[in-house]
Amino acid sequence: MLDTIREIETPEGISLHLRAAGALPRAQAWTVDLFLRMGVFMLAAIPLSLFGVGGKGLALLLLFALMWAYSVVCEVWLGGQTLGKRALGLRVVNADGTPVTWLPSVVRNLLRVVDALPGVYGVGLISTLIDPHARRLGDIVAGTMVIHVSELPAGQQVPSQAAVPLPVVLVADEQAALVEFAERSGQLTPQRQEELANLLTPLTGRNDSAAVRQLIGHANWLLGRP
Amino acid sequence: MKQERFVALHSGEWDSLQSWLSALERQPKRTMRQEQALDFPVSYRRLCHHLALARGRGYSHEVTDRLQRIVQQGHRVMYRPPAPRWHRVASFLIAGFPRLVRAQWRCMAAAAVLFYMPALITLVLMQVRPELAHTVFSSAQLADVEKMYDPANTHLGRSSGTDMQMFGFYVMNNVSIAFRTFASGLFFGVGAIYVLGANGVLIGGVAGHLTAIGYGGPFWRFVVGHSALELSALVIAGGAGLQLGLTLLAPGRQRRGPALVAAGWVGAQLALGAFAMLLAAAFVEAYWSSIAALPDVLKFGSGALLWLLVLGWLWRGGRGTSHGA
Repeated sequence: MLDTIREIETPEGISLHLRAAGALPRAQAWTVDLFLRMGVFMLAAIPLSLFGVGGKGLALLLLFALMWAYSVVCEVWLGGQTLGKRALGLRVVNADGTPVTWLPSVVRNLLRVVDALPGVYGVGLISTLIDPHARRLGDIVAGTMVIHVSELPAGQQVPSQAAVPLPVVLVADEQAALVEFAERSGQLTPQRQEELANLLTPLTGRNDSAAVRQLIGHANWLLGRP
Repeated sequence: MKQERFVALHSGEWDSLQSWLSALERQPKRTMRQEQALDFPVSYRRLCHHLALARGRGYSHEVTDRLQRIVQQGHRVMYRPPAPRWHRVASFLIAGFPRLVRAQWRCMAAAAVLFYMPALITLVLMQVRPELAHTVFSSAQLADVEKMYDPANTHLGRSSGTDMQMFGFYVMNNVSIAFRTFASGLFFGVGAIYVLGANGVLIGGVAGHLTAIGYGGPFWRFVVGHSALELSALVIAGGAGLQLGLTLLAPGRQRRGPALVAAGWVGAQLALGAFAMLLAAAFVEAYWSSIAALPDVLKFGSGALLWLLVLGWLWRGGRGTSHGA
């Protein structure tokens, strides 16, 4: 499979679909976090400077907390999301799809040092590009992965059209194929759409553009639209 | 059963579960106290059953997607991590951590050798050939160190700054070094070996140089207090890094992936323990080691006592208690 969805079977025998987040949204989330932490540090540094040299010690302690503890504390208490990840709709999950726990979070955030190594996240970038679930080295060792929070409902991009009931019952894979054809029809040339739709002439009983329209109508019916 | 009838029969149940889950995200505590929380496991399993039925009967995307979304949301609540318990932190520090260090004794021994050997060799070499100090350190660094341990200085071990400032500095500096030592071990242990060796040479060099020029008194009086916690923590962090690198090289009877995950868990616990030790060390270093006016007996006596306590804790801690928790 070429897509980045990881299926995980739950104890109830249901499979969860986790959509792995790639390097770009994660870099954006990291940047949001970086600016947030810089802002907090600067805001705190002003009152701390009033305490003289002792305030410098407190500022260093704060810097330490922001550098090492921020990600772990946020990820564990906010259900796998630092504030940046929340802004970008990402979540860190354990291998079984549950929100990340203490130790895995500590592992992945300590090993951030290695992922960040040559320049800005060189190792991490290469690792996310190679790994099928876009994990950096820290994620691989911690057994975690970063996923998109929102599940895209299937068929959002299916063009709206009057629903046409299907004459026969289709199995799940066939239904999915029909919906995905309708979803992607906008990206295909009309000739290619018709070529594909003509394969289903036994089902639709039509040819060319009429067949395409009917298939999109079936897809609308499958999605429960009027 | 036709899809329409199936939906009509159960959609009320799905909607109420969905609205409870959404409320839970907004107000976790209050929603958990509701009556419905008791029924959640049952209704979640029923929902999973409905999803399986809908899949099996080939119902349309509309139904399976809707159920899938609620199931994913419910899964996160059903299998959410347990709330952290603070007494486990105490039991980990008293028993679990020393046990873990002993379980990894080969890596810890290797890390100790990698750190103490260069330190001792440099320390001895500096006595025989004092000019070597200029090979290891720049003259600015030497001047800095000499100023810190000048016998005329009223504050031991620092040229300026208050206790609070130095506490912050020690935490930031030492813990960052320890964490980096652990993490860099992932490169087949090379990073950890380098950091351990380099720190050994540095610390041995400073100690050797100051002893050679006759500033040994203030230096040893300063470091003896916190050395037990600080050096042991550095060795443990290095050992944790070595352990991680070795697992990558030779995972044993497991595949590399699962072996690395297990080694990561062990390493993270060791790093957290080292963090606690360094926090204590920074406290001692900032508030106790820097007092110059104490008699030698008290300084060296307390230092020796701390060494005994730390080694005893690592050697005996957690023995005889159950291996649970």
